[in-house]
Amino acid sequence: MNWRKLRTFLITVLVLALIPATRYYQIDVPLLRFLRGSHRVDPLSLHLAGEFVENNLGTEQDPDGSVTVRMVAQQYLFVPQCIVVPAGIPVHLRITSADAVHSLTLNGTDYAVKVLPGTISEAQLQFPHPGEYKMPCREFCGAGHYAMRSELKVVPRDQFPALRPGERGSCAAQ
Amino acid sequence: MRRNNWICSGSRLPWRLSASLALTLAVAAVAAASSSFLLVQDASPEKIPSYVSWTPETMAAASRGDAFRGMLLARHCDHCHGAEGFSSTATTPNLAGIGRLTIWKQLEDFRTHKRESRPMNAIAESLSLRDQADLVAYYAKLPVFYDPDDKRIFPQPRPDPAKAAIASRLVSFGDGERGIPPCQACHGPVAYRPGAPSLATQNPEYILDQLEAFAKRTRANDINMPMRAVTAQLSEPERHALAEYYGAGLGLEPASSTAPK
Repeated sequence: MNWRKLRTFLITVLVLALIPATRYYQIDVPLLRFLRGSHRVDPLSLHLAGEFVENNLGTEQDPDGSVTVRMVAQQYLFVPQCIVVPAGIPVHLRITSADAVHSLTLNGTDYAVKVLPGTISEAQLQFPHPGEYKMPCREFCGAGHYAMRSELKVVPRDQFPALRPGERGSCAAQ
Repeated sequence: MRRNNWICSGSRLPWRLSASLALTLAVAAVAAASSSFLLVQDASPEKIPSYVSWTPETMAAASRGDAFRGMLLARHCDHCHGAEGFSSTATTPNLAGIGRLTIWKQLEDFRTHKRESRPMNAIAESLSLRDQADLVAYYAKLPVFYDPDDKRIFPQPRPDPAKAAIASRLVSFGDGERGIPPCQACHGPVAYRPGAPSLATQNPEYILDQLEAFAKRTRANDINMPMRAVTAQLSEPERHALAEYYGAGLGLEPASSTAPK
Protein backbone atom coordinates (compact mmCIF):
# COMPACT_ATOMS: atom_id res chain seq x y z
CA MET A 1 0.00 0.00 0.00
CA ASN A 2 1.38 3.34 -1.05
CA TRP A 3 1.60 5.65 2.00
CA ARG A 4 0.79 8.78 -0.06
CA LYS A 5 -2.34 7.18 -1.52
CA LEU A 6 -3.49 6.04 1.91
CA ARG A 7 -2.95 9.53 3.35
CA THR A 8 -4.96 11.16 0.54
CA PHE A 9 -7.73 8.64 1.03
CA LEU A 10 -7.90 9.19 4.80
CA ILE A 11 -7.95 12.98 4.46
CA THR A 12 -10.75 12.74 1.89
CA VAL A 13 -12.82 10.52 4.18
CA LEU A 14 -12.21 12.85 7.11
CA VAL A 15 -13.28 15.92 5.14
CA LEU A 16 -16.39 14.18 3.84
CA ALA A 17 -17.30 13.10 7.38
CA LEU A 18 -16.86 16.67 8.62
CA ILE A 19 -19.54 18.03 6.31
CA PRO A 20 -22.53 16.33 8.02
CA ALA A 21 -20.87 16.77 11.41
CA THR A 22 -20.82 20.57 11.07
CA ARG A 23 -24.48 20.60 9.95
CA TYR A 24 -25.83 18.92 13.11
CA TYR A 25 -28.11 21.90 13.75
CA GLN A 26 -29.92 21.23 10.47
CA ILE A 27 -31.11 17.80 11.61
CA ASP A 28 -34.74 17.56 10.75
CA VAL A 29 -36.71 17.99 13.99
CA PRO A 30 -40.17 17.14 12.57
CA LEU A 31 -38.72 14.09 10.83
CA LEU A 32 -37.12 12.82 14.03
CA ARG A 33 -40.37 13.50 15.87
CA PHE A 34 -42.31 11.59 13.22
CA LEU A 35 -39.94 8.62 13.48
CA ARG A 36 -40.21 8.72 17.27
CA GLY A 37 -43.99 8.64 16.95
CA SER A 38 -44.94 11.66 19.07
CA HIS A 39 -47.32 14.44 17.95
CA ARG A 40 -49.09 12.01 15.66
CA VAL A 41 -52.11 13.21 13.70
CA ASP A 42 -54.00 11.51 10.86
CA PRO A 43 -53.43 13.61 7.70
CA LEU A 44 -56.47 12.16 5.93
CA SER A 45 -59.01 13.08 8.59
CA LEU A 46 -57.83 16.53 9.70
CA HIS A 47 -61.20 17.96 8.63
CA LEU A 48 -63.30 15.49 10.63
CA ALA A 49 -62.20 16.07 14.21
CA GLY A 50 -59.39 17.33 16.39
CA GLU A 51 -57.20 20.38 16.42
CA PHE A 52 -57.15 21.15 12.70
CA VAL A 53 -60.86 21.30 11.81
CA GLU A 54 -61.46 24.28 9.57
CA ASN A 55 -62.98 26.68 12.12
CA ASN A 56 -60.18 26.05 14.63
CA LEU A 57 -57.53 27.40 12.22
CA GLY A 58 -56.11 30.89 12.64
CA THR A 59 -54.90 32.95 15.58
CA GLU A 60 -55.98 32.11 19.10
CA GLN A 61 -55.46 34.34 22.15
CA ASP A 62 -53.93 32.36 25.01
CA PRO A 63 -54.70 33.18 28.65
CA ASP A 64 -51.04 34.11 29.35
CA GLY A 65 -51.04 36.85 26.71
CA SER A 66 -49.24 34.95 23.96
CA VAL A 67 -51.00 33.76 20.81
CA THR A 68 -51.23 30.37 19.11
CA VAL A 69 -51.48 30.09 15.31
CA ARG A 70 -52.82 26.92 13.71
CA MET A 71 -52.43 26.21 10.00
CA VAL A 72 -52.86 23.36 7.55
CA ALA A 73 -50.50 22.99 4.58
CA GLN A 74 -51.80 21.14 1.55
CA GLN A 75 -51.15 20.93 -2.16
CA TYR A 76 -50.98 23.85 -3.05
CA LEU A 77 -51.95 26.32 -0.41
CA PHE A 78 -51.70 27.13 3.26
CA VAL A 79 -54.98 27.53 5.13
CA PRO A 80 -55.67 30.21 6.27
CA GLN A 81 -53.92 32.14 3.50
CA CYS A 82 -53.42 35.21 5.68
CA ILE A 83 -52.38 35.23 9.35
CA VAL A 84 -52.53 38.18 11.78
CA VAL A 85 -50.38 38.30 14.90
CA PRO A 86 -49.54 41.14 17.30
CA ALA A 87 -45.99 42.53 17.44
CA GLY A 88 -43.70 41.83 20.39
CA ILE A 89 -45.66 38.90 21.73
CA PRO A 90 -44.63 35.20 21.64
CA VAL A 91 -46.33 33.31 18.83
CA HIS A 92 -46.72 29.54 19.03
CA LEU A 93 -47.10 28.13 15.55
CA ARG A 94 -48.70 24.71 15.12
CA ILE A 95 -48.92 23.42 11.58
CA THR A 96 -49.48 20.07 9.90
CA SER A 97 -49.79 18.80 6.35
CA ALA A 98 -52.72 17.04 4.72
CA ASP A 99 -50.75 15.42 1.91
CA ALA A 100 -47.10 16.02 0.98
CA VAL A 101 -44.01 17.45 2.69
CA HIS A 102 -44.09 21.25 2.72
CA SER A 103 -41.95 23.94 4.31
CA LEU A 104 -43.28 27.22 5.64
CA THR A 105 -40.72 30.00 5.29
CA LEU A 106 -40.99 33.65 6.23
CA ASN A 107 -39.36 35.84 3.61
CA GLY A 108 -36.94 38.28 5.21
CA THR A 109 -36.41 36.20 8.33
CA ASP A 110 -34.49 33.05 9.25
CA TYR A 111 -37.63 31.14 10.15
CA ALA A 112 -38.39 27.96 8.21
CA VAL A 113 -40.75 25.28 9.48
CA LYS A 114 -40.74 21.89 7.82
CA VAL A 115 -44.23 20.41 7.62
CA LEU A 116 -44.73 16.66 7.36
CA PRO A 117 -47.98 14.76 6.97
CA GLY A 118 -48.75 12.78 10.10
CA THR A 119 -47.02 15.00 12.63
CA ILE A 120 -47.54 18.47 14.05
CA SER A 121 -44.68 20.92 13.52
CA GLU A 122 -44.25 23.52 16.23
CA ALA A 123 -42.30 26.78 16.24
CA GLN A 124 -41.88 29.61 18.72
CA LEU A 125 -41.75 32.94 16.90
CA GLN A 126 -41.67 36.56 17.95
CA PHE A 127 -41.87 39.65 15.76
CA PRO A 128 -40.58 42.84 17.40
CA HIS A 129 -41.89 45.22 14.72
CA PRO A 130 -45.12 45.46 12.71
CA GLY A 131 -44.79 44.42 9.09
CA GLU A 132 -45.86 42.02 6.42
CA TYR A 133 -44.13 38.81 5.46
CA LYS A 134 -44.75 36.53 2.55
CA MET A 135 -44.76 32.88 3.54
CA PRO A 136 -43.94 30.71 0.52
CA CYS A 137 -43.48 26.95 0.52
CA ARG A 138 -39.81 26.05 0.21
CA GLU A 139 -40.09 22.29 -0.18
CA PHE A 140 -40.99 21.19 -3.68
CA CYS A 141 -44.44 19.66 -3.25
CA GLY A 142 -45.79 19.21 -6.79
CA ALA A 143 -47.02 20.97 -9.91
CA GLY A 144 -48.47 24.00 -8.10
CA HIS A 145 -45.57 24.46 -5.67
CA TYR A 146 -44.42 27.79 -7.15
CA ALA A 147 -47.76 29.46 -6.44
CA MET A 148 -48.06 28.10 -2.89
CA ARG A 149 -47.88 31.16 -0.72
CA SER A 150 -49.43 32.56 2.42
CA GLU A 151 -49.10 35.92 4.11
CA LEU A 152 -48.30 37.04 7.66
CA LYS A 153 -49.38 40.45 8.95
CA VAL A 154 -47.74 41.64 12.15
CA VAL A 155 -49.84 44.48 13.57
CA PRO A 156 -49.09 46.78 16.55
CA ARG A 157 -50.27 45.37 19.86
CA ASP A 158 -52.97 47.98 20.37
CA GLN A 159 -54.41 47.35 16.89
CA PHE A 160 -54.72 43.62 17.45
CA PRO A 161 -58.33 43.07 18.47
CA ALA A 162 -59.11 41.21 21.67
CA LEU A 163 -60.14 37.69 20.78
CA ARG A 164 -62.41 36.04 23.30
CA PRO A 165 -61.69 32.43 24.34
CA GLY A 166 -62.99 30.11 21.63
CA GLU A 167 -62.57 32.67 18.86
CA ARG A 168 -60.11 32.28 15.99
CA GLY A 169 -58.98 35.20 13.86
CA SER A 170 -57.38 35.42 10.42
CA CYS A 171 -57.19 37.94 7.59
CA ALA A 172 -58.09 35.45 4.83
CA ALA A 173 -60.11 36.86 1.94
CA GLN A 174 -63.85 36.51 2.33
CA MET B 1 -73.66 37.73 -29.71
CA ARG B 2 -75.02 34.32 -28.84
CA ARG B 3 -71.87 33.06 -27.19
CA ASN B 4 -72.05 35.48 -24.25
CA ASN B 5 -75.76 35.02 -23.58
CA TRP B 6 -75.33 32.61 -20.70
CA ILE B 7 -73.43 35.13 -18.60
CA CYS B 8 -76.33 37.49 -18.14
CA SER B 9 -79.18 34.99 -18.29
CA GLY B 10 -81.02 33.73 -15.24
CA SER B 11 -81.78 35.57 -12.03
CA ARG B 12 -78.32 37.05 -11.47
CA LEU B 13 -78.19 40.70 -10.47
CA PRO B 14 -77.07 43.20 -13.09
CA TRP B 15 -73.43 44.07 -12.37
CA ARG B 16 -74.07 47.76 -11.69
CA LEU B 17 -76.59 46.92 -8.98
CA SER B 18 -74.44 44.23 -7.42
CA ALA B 19 -71.37 46.49 -7.50
CA SER B 20 -73.15 49.31 -5.70
CA LEU B 21 -74.59 46.82 -3.22
CA ALA B 22 -71.12 45.43 -2.51
CA LEU B 23 -69.73 48.97 -2.06
CA THR B 24 -72.49 49.84 0.42
CA LEU B 25 -71.87 46.64 2.35
CA ALA B 26 -68.11 47.26 2.43
CA VAL B 27 -68.59 50.82 3.74
CA ALA B 28 -71.01 49.54 6.38
CA ALA B 29 -68.55 46.85 7.45
CA VAL B 30 -65.69 49.35 7.77
CA ALA B 31 -67.88 51.68 9.80
CA ALA B 32 -69.05 48.85 12.06
CA ALA B 33 -65.62 47.51 13.01
CA SER B 34 -62.35 49.42 12.84
CA SER B 35 -60.43 46.14 12.55
CA SER B 36 -62.40 44.86 9.58
CA PHE B 37 -59.34 43.04 8.16
CA LEU B 38 -59.76 40.39 10.81
CA LEU B 39 -62.09 37.51 10.11
CA VAL B 40 -63.27 36.07 13.43
CA GLN B 41 -65.05 32.75 13.80
CA ASP B 42 -66.02 30.47 16.68
CA ALA B 43 -63.98 27.30 17.14
CA SER B 44 -66.88 25.31 18.55
CA PRO B 45 -68.94 23.52 17.42
CA GLU B 46 -66.51 22.15 14.89
CA LYS B 47 -67.45 22.63 11.23
CA ILE B 48 -67.11 19.49 9.12
CA PRO B 49 -67.01 20.18 5.37
CA SER B 50 -67.54 16.57 4.31
CA TYR B 51 -67.64 13.18 6.02
CA VAL B 52 -65.50 11.69 3.24
CA SER B 53 -61.82 11.17 3.96
CA TRP B 54 -59.58 9.55 1.36
CA THR B 55 -58.49 6.49 3.30
CA PRO B 56 -57.62 3.32 1.35
CA GLU B 57 -60.96 1.83 2.47
CA THR B 58 -62.88 4.79 1.03
CA MET B 59 -60.96 4.60 -2.22
CA ALA B 60 -61.69 0.87 -2.46
CA ALA B 61 -65.41 1.35 -1.72
CA ALA B 62 -65.67 4.02 -4.42
CA SER B 63 -63.76 1.97 -7.00
CA ARG B 64 -65.34 -1.48 -6.81
CA GLY B 65 -68.50 -0.65 -8.80
CA ASP B 66 -70.00 -2.65 -11.66
CA ALA B 67 -70.27 -0.42 -14.73
CA PHE B 68 -72.93 -2.59 -16.43
CA ARG B 69 -75.31 -2.42 -13.48
CA GLY B 70 -74.47 1.29 -13.32
CA MET B 71 -75.56 1.68 -16.95
CA LEU B 72 -78.99 0.25 -16.10
CA LEU B 73 -79.33 2.51 -13.05
CA ALA B 74 -78.12 5.58 -14.97
CA ARG B 75 -81.24 5.56 -17.17
CA HIS B 76 -82.88 7.47 -14.27
CA CYS B 77 -80.21 10.18 -14.59
CA ASP B 78 -80.61 10.63 -18.37
CA HIS B 79 -83.32 13.26 -18.10
CA CYS B 80 -81.00 15.86 -16.54
CA HIS B 81 -77.47 14.61 -17.15
CA GLY B 82 -77.99 13.42 -20.73
CA ALA B 83 -78.08 9.94 -22.24
CA GLU B 84 -74.38 10.22 -23.14
CA GLY B 85 -73.40 11.97 -19.91
CA PHE B 86 -73.57 15.42 -21.53
CA SER B 87 -76.35 17.64 -20.22
CA SER B 88 -78.66 19.79 -22.34
CA THR B 89 -79.23 22.17 -19.38
CA ALA B 90 -76.45 24.70 -18.82
CA THR B 91 -76.60 24.58 -15.01
CA THR B 92 -76.45 20.77 -14.81
CA PRO B 93 -73.01 19.16 -14.82
CA ASN B 94 -71.73 16.81 -17.49
CA LEU B 95 -70.75 13.47 -15.97
CA ALA B 96 -69.12 11.66 -18.90
CA GLY B 97 -65.54 10.71 -18.15
CA ILE B 98 -65.54 12.28 -14.66
CA GLY B 99 -63.50 10.16 -12.24
CA ARG B 100 -65.11 7.64 -9.90
CA LEU B 101 -63.87 9.28 -6.72
CA THR B 102 -65.22 12.69 -7.74
CA ILE B 103 -68.84 11.68 -8.35
CA TRP B 104 -68.76 9.27 -5.42
CA LYS B 105 -67.73 12.06 -3.03
CA GLN B 106 -70.44 14.39 -4.33
CA LEU B 107 -73.11 11.67 -3.92
CA GLU B 108 -71.89 11.10 -0.35
CA ASP B 109 -72.03 14.83 0.36
CA PHE B 110 -75.52 15.12 -1.15
CA ARG B 111 -76.62 12.15 0.96
CA THR B 112 -75.28 13.66 4.19
CA HIS B 113 -76.50 17.20 3.27
CA LYS B 114 -72.96 18.59 3.22
CA ARG B 115 -73.77 19.91 -0.26
CA GLU B 116 -77.27 21.23 -0.84
CA SER B 117 -79.18 20.63 -4.05
CA ARG B 118 -82.94 20.14 -4.07
CA PRO B 119 -83.15 17.21 -6.51
CA MET B 120 -79.82 15.59 -5.70
CA ASN B 121 -80.21 15.39 -1.90
CA ALA B 122 -83.34 13.22 -2.25
CA ILE B 123 -81.86 11.13 -5.08
CA ALA B 124 -78.62 10.44 -3.20
CA GLU B 125 -80.57 9.43 -0.10
CA SER B 126 -82.43 6.82 -2.15
CA LEU B 127 -79.20 5.20 -3.44
CA SER B 128 -77.45 2.36 -1.64
CA LEU B 129 -73.64 2.29 -1.36
CA ARG B 130 -73.56 -0.36 -4.09
CA ASP B 131 -75.72 1.80 -6.39
CA GLN B 132 -73.37 4.74 -5.85
CA ALA B 133 -70.28 2.71 -6.71
CA ASP B 134 -71.96 1.21 -9.81
CA LEU B 135 -73.15 4.60 -11.09
CA VAL B 136 -69.75 6.23 -10.77
CA ALA B 137 -68.12 3.24 -12.48
CA TYR B 138 -70.46 3.74 -15.46
CA TYR B 139 -69.98 7.49 -15.79
CA ALA B 140 -66.20 7.19 -15.46
CA LYS B 141 -66.21 4.83 -18.46
CA LEU B 142 -68.35 7.06 -20.73
CA PRO B 143 -66.28 8.42 -23.61
CA VAL B 144 -65.84 12.12 -24.33
CA PHE B 145 -66.57 12.93 -27.97
CA TYR B 146 -68.35 15.55 -30.03
CA ASP B 147 -71.87 14.67 -31.18
CA PRO B 148 -73.70 17.30 -33.29
CA ASP B 149 -77.04 15.44 -33.08
CA ASP B 150 -77.12 15.49 -29.29
CA LYS B 151 -78.63 18.60 -27.68
CA ARG B 152 -75.65 19.10 -25.40
CA ILE B 153 -74.38 22.48 -24.22
CA PHE B 154 -70.69 21.54 -24.37
CA PRO B 155 -68.63 22.80 -26.15
CA GLN B 156 -69.46 26.49 -26.46
CA PRO B 157 -67.71 28.76 -29.00
CA ARG B 158 -64.21 29.93 -28.06
CA PRO B 159 -64.00 33.09 -25.92
CA ASP B 160 -62.17 36.11 -27.29
CA PRO B 161 -58.35 35.87 -27.00
CA ALA B 162 -58.03 38.47 -24.22
CA LYS B 163 -60.37 36.49 -21.95
CA ALA B 164 -58.76 33.20 -22.91
CA ALA B 165 -55.34 34.64 -22.02
CA ILE B 166 -56.51 35.60 -18.49
CA ALA B 167 -57.92 32.11 -18.00
CA SER B 168 -55.02 30.17 -19.46
CA ARG B 169 -52.58 32.07 -17.26
CA LEU B 170 -54.58 31.05 -14.17
CA VAL B 171 -55.02 27.49 -15.44
CA SER B 172 -51.36 26.87 -16.21
CA PHE B 173 -49.51 29.14 -13.76
CA GLY B 174 -51.98 30.38 -11.16
CA ASP B 175 -51.08 33.64 -9.45
CA GLY B 176 -48.18 33.38 -7.03
CA GLU B 177 -48.69 36.97 -5.86
CA ARG B 178 -52.11 36.09 -4.41
CA GLY B 179 -51.29 32.48 -3.60
CA ILE B 180 -53.63 31.05 -6.23
CA PRO B 181 -52.35 27.66 -7.41
CA PRO B 182 -52.71 26.68 -11.10
CA CYS B 183 -56.06 24.97 -11.74
CA GLN B 184 -54.44 22.22 -13.80
CA ALA B 185 -52.34 21.05 -10.84
CA CYS B 186 -55.47 19.52 -9.23
CA HIS B 187 -58.16 19.49 -11.96
CA GLY B 188 -56.02 17.96 -14.68
CA PRO B 189 -54.55 17.30 -17.11
CA VAL B 190 -51.26 17.82 -15.22
CA ALA B 191 -52.41 16.12 -12.00
CA TYR B 192 -55.60 15.10 -10.23
CA ARG B 193 -56.12 15.48 -6.51
CA PRO B 194 -58.40 12.71 -5.16
CA GLY B 195 -61.98 13.91 -5.56
CA ALA B 196 -61.12 16.91 -7.74
CA PRO B 197 -63.17 16.87 -10.96
CA SER B 198 -61.75 17.12 -14.43
CA LEU B 199 -63.03 20.46 -15.75
CA ALA B 200 -62.12 20.01 -19.40
CA THR B 201 -65.61 18.90 -20.51
CA GLN B 202 -67.78 20.87 -18.09
CA ASN B 203 -70.58 23.29 -18.92
CA PRO B 204 -69.50 26.94 -18.53
CA GLU B 205 -72.53 28.09 -16.57
CA TYR B 206 -72.18 25.19 -14.13
CA ILE B 207 -68.51 26.09 -13.51
CA LEU B 208 -69.44 29.73 -12.95
CA ASP B 209 -72.23 28.78 -10.53
CA GLN B 210 -69.88 26.59 -8.49
CA LEU B 211 -67.10 29.21 -8.39
CA GLU B 212 -69.60 31.74 -7.05
CA ALA B 213 -71.07 29.26 -4.60
CA PHE B 214 -67.62 28.51 -3.17
CA ALA B 215 -66.79 32.21 -2.94
CA LYS B 216 -70.06 32.95 -1.09
CA ARG B 217 -69.62 29.80 1.04
CA THR B 218 -73.06 28.51 0.02
CA ARG B 219 -71.15 25.44 -1.11
CA ALA B 220 -68.60 24.37 1.51
CA ASN B 221 -67.85 20.67 0.97
CA ASP B 222 -64.20 21.05 -0.10
CA ILE B 223 -61.94 19.19 2.33
CA ASN B 224 -59.50 21.62 4.04
CA MET B 225 -61.16 24.47 2.09
CA PRO B 226 -58.88 24.89 -0.95
CA MET B 227 -61.69 25.97 -3.28
CA ARG B 228 -63.18 28.46 -0.83
CA ALA B 229 -59.75 30.02 -0.29
CA VAL B 230 -59.02 30.28 -4.03
CA THR B 231 -62.42 31.49 -5.25
CA ALA B 232 -62.55 34.20 -2.57
CA GLN B 233 -59.50 35.73 -4.28
CA LEU B 234 -60.75 35.45 -7.86
CA SER B 235 -62.31 38.56 -9.37
CA GLU B 236 -65.61 38.54 -11.23
CA PRO B 237 -64.01 38.80 -14.73
CA GLU B 238 -61.58 36.00 -13.83
CA ARG B 239 -64.43 33.68 -12.85
CA HIS B 240 -66.21 34.38 -16.15
CA ALA B 241 -62.98 33.91 -18.11
CA LEU B 242 -62.29 30.55 -16.44
CA ALA B 243 -65.83 29.32 -17.06
CA GLU B 244 -65.68 30.31 -20.73
CA TYR B 245 -62.21 28.79 -21.13
CA TYR B 246 -63.23 25.38 -19.84
CA GLY B 247 -66.71 25.57 -21.40
CA ALA B 248 -65.17 26.00 -24.86
CA GLY B 249 -63.15 22.80 -24.47
CA LEU B 250 -59.82 24.63 -24.27
CA GLY B 251 -58.93 22.59 -21.19
CA LEU B 252 -58.69 19.52 -23.44
CA GLU B 253 -55.68 20.93 -25.25
CA PRO B 254 -52.23 20.92 -23.67
CA ALA B 255 -51.94 24.08 -21.59
CA SER B 256 -48.59 25.08 -23.10
CA SER B 257 -50.14 25.63 -26.54
CA THR B 258 -52.63 28.16 -25.14
CA ALA B 259 -50.30 29.79 -22.59
CA PRO B 260 -49.52 33.47 -23.18
CA LYS B 261 -46.06 34.14 -24.57
